[in-house]
Amino acid sequence: MIKFVNVTRRFGRTVAVNDLSLSVNRGELFAFLGPNGAGKTTTIKMLVGLLRPSGGQIQVAGLDVATHPRQCAQLLGYVPDQPFLYEKLSGREFLEFIAQIRGMTREETDKAISEQADRFELHGFLDDLVETYSHGMRQRTVFAAALLHHPPVLVVDEPMVGLDPKSTRLVKDLLREWARSGGVVFMSIHTLSVAEEIATRIGIIHRGQLLFNGTVDELREQLAAQDESLENMFLQLTLEEKRAQVPTSTLE
Amino acid sequence: MQQLSLTQYTEAPSAGRETRAAAGDLVVTFPQRDLDPWAEGRTFARLKVRIFRTILQQTLRDSWLQIVMMTVLSGILWLVLFFLAIDGFVFLKNTIPADLLVEVIEVIFGVFFVTLMIMLAFSSAILLYGGLFRSPDVGFLLTLPVRPERIFVFKYGDAFFLSSWAFLLLGTPVLLAYGVVMTAPWYYYVLMPVVLVAFTHIPSAVGGVICLLLAHRILRRPGLLATFVAGVGILGLAWGIWYVRTAFSEQTLAPEWFQQIFARLRFTQHRLLPSWWLSSALLEASRHQLGESLAFVGVLVANAFFFRQVGVWIAAGLFRRIFSEAEGGQSRRRRARLHRLDQVVYTLLGCFPLQTRLLLLKDFRLFRRDPVQWTQFLIFFGLLGLYFLNIRRFSYETYYQGWVNMVSLLNLAVVALLLSTFTTRFIFPMISLEGRNFWILGLLPLRRQTLLWSKFWFATVGTVIPCCGLILLSDSMLGVSPLITAMHQLLCVSLSVGLSGLAVGLGAKIPNFREPSPAKIAAGFGGTLNLILSTVLIVVVIVAAGLPTHLLLGSWTPGGSTIVDLYPQLEPTLRWWWLLGTLASPAVACLFAAVPMRLGIRAFCRMEF
Repeated sequence: MIKFVNVTRRFGRTVAVNDLSLSVNRGELFAFLGPNGAGKTTTIKMLVGLLRPSGGQIQVAGLDVATHPRQCAQLLGYVPDQPFLYEKLSGREFLEFIAQIRGMTREETDKAISEQADRFELHGFLDDLVETYSHGMRQRTVFAAALLHHPPVLVVDEPMVGLDPKSTRLVKDLLREWARSGGVVFMSIHTLSVAEEIATRIGIIHRGQLLFNGTVDELREQLAAQDESLENMFLQLTLEEKRAQVPTSTLE
Repeated sequence: MQQLSLTQYTEAPSAGRETRAAAGDLVVTFPQRDLDPWAEGRTFARLKVRIFRTILQQTLRDSWLQIVMMTVLSGILWLVLFFLAIDGFVFLKNTIPADLLVEVIEVIFGVFFVTLMIMLAFSSAILLYGGLFRSPDVGFLLTLPVRPERIFVFKYGDAFFLSSWAFLLLGTPVLLAYGVVMTAPWYYYVLMPVVLVAFTHIPSAVGGVICLLLAHRILRRPGLLATFVAGVGILGLAWGIWYVRTAFSEQTLAPEWFQQIFARLRFTQHRLLPSWWLSSALLEASRHQLGESLAFVGVLVANAFFFRQVGVWIAAGLFRRIFSEAEGGQSRRRRARLHRLDQVVYTLLGCFPLQTRLLLLKDFRLFRRDPVQWTQFLIFFGLLGLYFLNIRRFSYETYYQGWVNMVSLLNLAVVALLLSTFTTRFIFPMISLEGRNFWILGLLPLRRQTLLWSKFWFATVGTVIPCCGLILLSDSMLGVSPLITAMHQLLCVSLSVGLSGLAVGLGAKIPNFREPSPAKIAAGFGGTLNLILSTVLIVVVIVAAGLPTHLLLGSWTPGGSTIVDLYPQLEPTLRWWWLLGTLASPAVACLFAAVPMRLGIRAFCRMEF
C-alpha cells in the first residue's frame, strides 16, 4: 500500500533521509521511531506530498506521490504533529469544508461528521469557534477531519501529544482497529511504550538511515536482548558510540 | 459507478472514481469524487465567506472603536482628496488652454497610475509571498485533494483585496473629481469601477507571477525576498526622483521647465502600459467617445484575465515544487553568530544596568533578525530621507521664505505621525508577544518592571535616533535657522519619549496574549487607542511649541519678515505662547509616558501567566 523506493531527501548539504526503502502493507500499523532530527517528519511530509524527494520514489496504492499528489491525497488521512485548523471556523464548519473538498454530498457529510463526533466526543464543542479550543480538543478535531472519508491509509505524526489519558486510549484503540480492519497506519511516535503496545511493525531511523525494520520480537532477536524493553533496545541501537558494543544492562 | 474494495487499492484509482470498501471490512471508504474546478472554487468561496463573517461579527463586537476610526478617517481622507482634486482640475481647466489641457491631464494621470501600478505590483508580491509560503494553512491544504492553482487563487484573492483597497481609496476621488469638473457623460461613471477593478488585477497578477518566480529561486535564503523587494523599491524610487530632478535645469515653473518635465514623464504614456489603457479608457469616456473608451476597457479586461491566468498556469505547474523548496529552505539550520553590530550596541548601552543591557541587546537581536520589522523601518524612514534629501531641488527659498518655514513644520509633524504608526505597529505589541513566552523571563531573577523599562529604553533610543536625524536632515536641506533647528530637536526627543512610554505602558496595560500576530495586536482596541492618544500627543506638542516657534521665529514673506514684524501687537502673546509651550511640551510628553508606564507596570506586576 505504501512503498518507499530508494528515497533520499537533502536540505542543502544535509541528507535528512538517505536511500530509504520500505513497504507497509494492508492491515499493518507501522510505527516509525527515531531520535529528534532523525528524518521521521521529513519522511512523513514526503509521503503526504508536502516535500518532494531529492531521489527515489514514494508510492501509495501504486501511485507516485510526486506525480499524482491529488489522487494520493484522496487515499490518505493525515494528522500532522502541529495540527492546523481555521481559527475563525467552528469545528463543524471545518469538518464540512474538508468533506466538501473530498467531494462528499450533503448527506454523506452529515453522516460522516456525526460518526466522527460520536467517536471523538466532539458534540460538546463542535459548534464553538476553533480559537476557543484546548490543545486536546484541536487534536481530536484534526483526527476527526483525517478520518472523515475513512481513508485506507492513515498517516499520523506524534498522535499522543497533548491528549488526556482517555483520549490517548481512544486513539490507541482507533489506530489498532483501523489496521485490523484492513487499513494502513503509518505513525511517527516518540512514546516507545505506545509503539510497543500497538504497532505490528516498527522502523527505526537515525540520521536519515533506516537502522531496523521489523517486529519488536525480531529486534530482540537481532540484538540478542531477551526480555528487554523497546526503550532499551531503541537506545542501544541509536546511541552511535555504543551501538552493538555496549551490553543492554549498562543502559539500565 | 464502479466500486473498489480495499484490495483493489493496489491498482491506481483514477480521479473521479468512487471508492468503497468490500463488504465485511470495517474500514468503509466514503465515495470520493474529484471536484470539478467550479465546485472547488465554490467550496473555497464558502470558506472565505464563513471566515469573513466571523471576523466581521467579532470586529463589530470587540473592536468597534477601530471600525469607527477607520471609517471616519478613510471618509475624511477620501473627501479631502476629492475636494483637492476638484480644486486642482478647476485650476487646470481655467488656466491652461484647452489643447494643452488634454496633454497635461494625460501626464498627470500617467504619473499617478504608473506610480500606483508599481506600488500595487510590489505590495501584491509581498502579500502573496506571505500568504503562500508563511501561512500555516497552505501546508494543510496541500495534503488535501486540492488543485495547487486553487490555493494560488485563494491566496491571490486575499492579496488582491489587501493591496487594492488603498488604490481605490486614492484613485476614486481623483477620477470622480475629474468627471465632475469635465462634465463627463453618465457612462464615464459606469465604466469607472469596471476599469479600476480590471486595471488593479493586472499589477496584482504580475506581482503574483513575480512572487512565484522569485520564490522558485531564492526562498532558500530567508529574508532575501523581503530584502530584494525593499531594495528594488527604494532603488526604483531613487531612480525616479533622480530622473525627474535632472530635468530641473531651467528655472522652476518656467515654461521651459514644464516642457522638460513633460518630456521626462512621457514614458508614463507608453502604449504598452496598463496605466495608459486605464487613463485612455476614462479620458475617452469623458470626451464622449464611448466606442474608443470601450476598446480600452476591453484591452484592460482581457489583460487582467490573461495575467491572472498566467499566474494560475505557473501555480498549477510549479507551486508544489516551489512549496517543497520553501519547506526545505525553512528546515535549514542557521548558526546565530555574535554580530559586530551586537557588540557595538552592547558597548553603547554601557550606561544601563546589566539586566536592562542584556534585555535591550535581546530586543535588538530580535529586531535585527526579523526582516519584516527592519524592512518596514527602512521603507518608512528611508522614503522620508529620500524626500528630505531632494527637498532643496524645489528651491522654495528663491520664491517664498514662508514655504521653508511651513514645510519644515509640516516635516516635523509628518515624522512624528510616522513615528506614532511605528510605535503602534512594533512597540505596542512587544509585551503581548513577550507574555506568550513569559515563563522564560518570569523564572529568571528579574523584576518585572525591569522588563518594561528595558522595552521603554529600547523604544526611546530606537526612535530618537531616526527621528532627530531625519529632522536635522530636513532642517539643514531647507536652511532653517539654528534656533528653530534646536527647538525641533527638543520636540523630537520629547515626542520619542512620550510615544515610546505610551506604547510600552498601554501594551502592558491592555495586552493580547491570545494573538500571535503583532499586526493584528496593533489593529485591535489597544493598538487603536494607542494610535489615537499618540495623535493627541503630537497635536498638543506641535500646537503648543512647534507652531509658536515658527510664528515667532520663522519668515512668512518673500522678504523674510516674521509675524512679529508684520503684526507687532501680537508679539507679547506669541512670546508667552512660545515660552509656555516650550516648557510644557516636554512635560506633557513625559506625562504621556509616565502615566501609561505606571499603569502598565502596575498591571504587569499583578498579571498571572
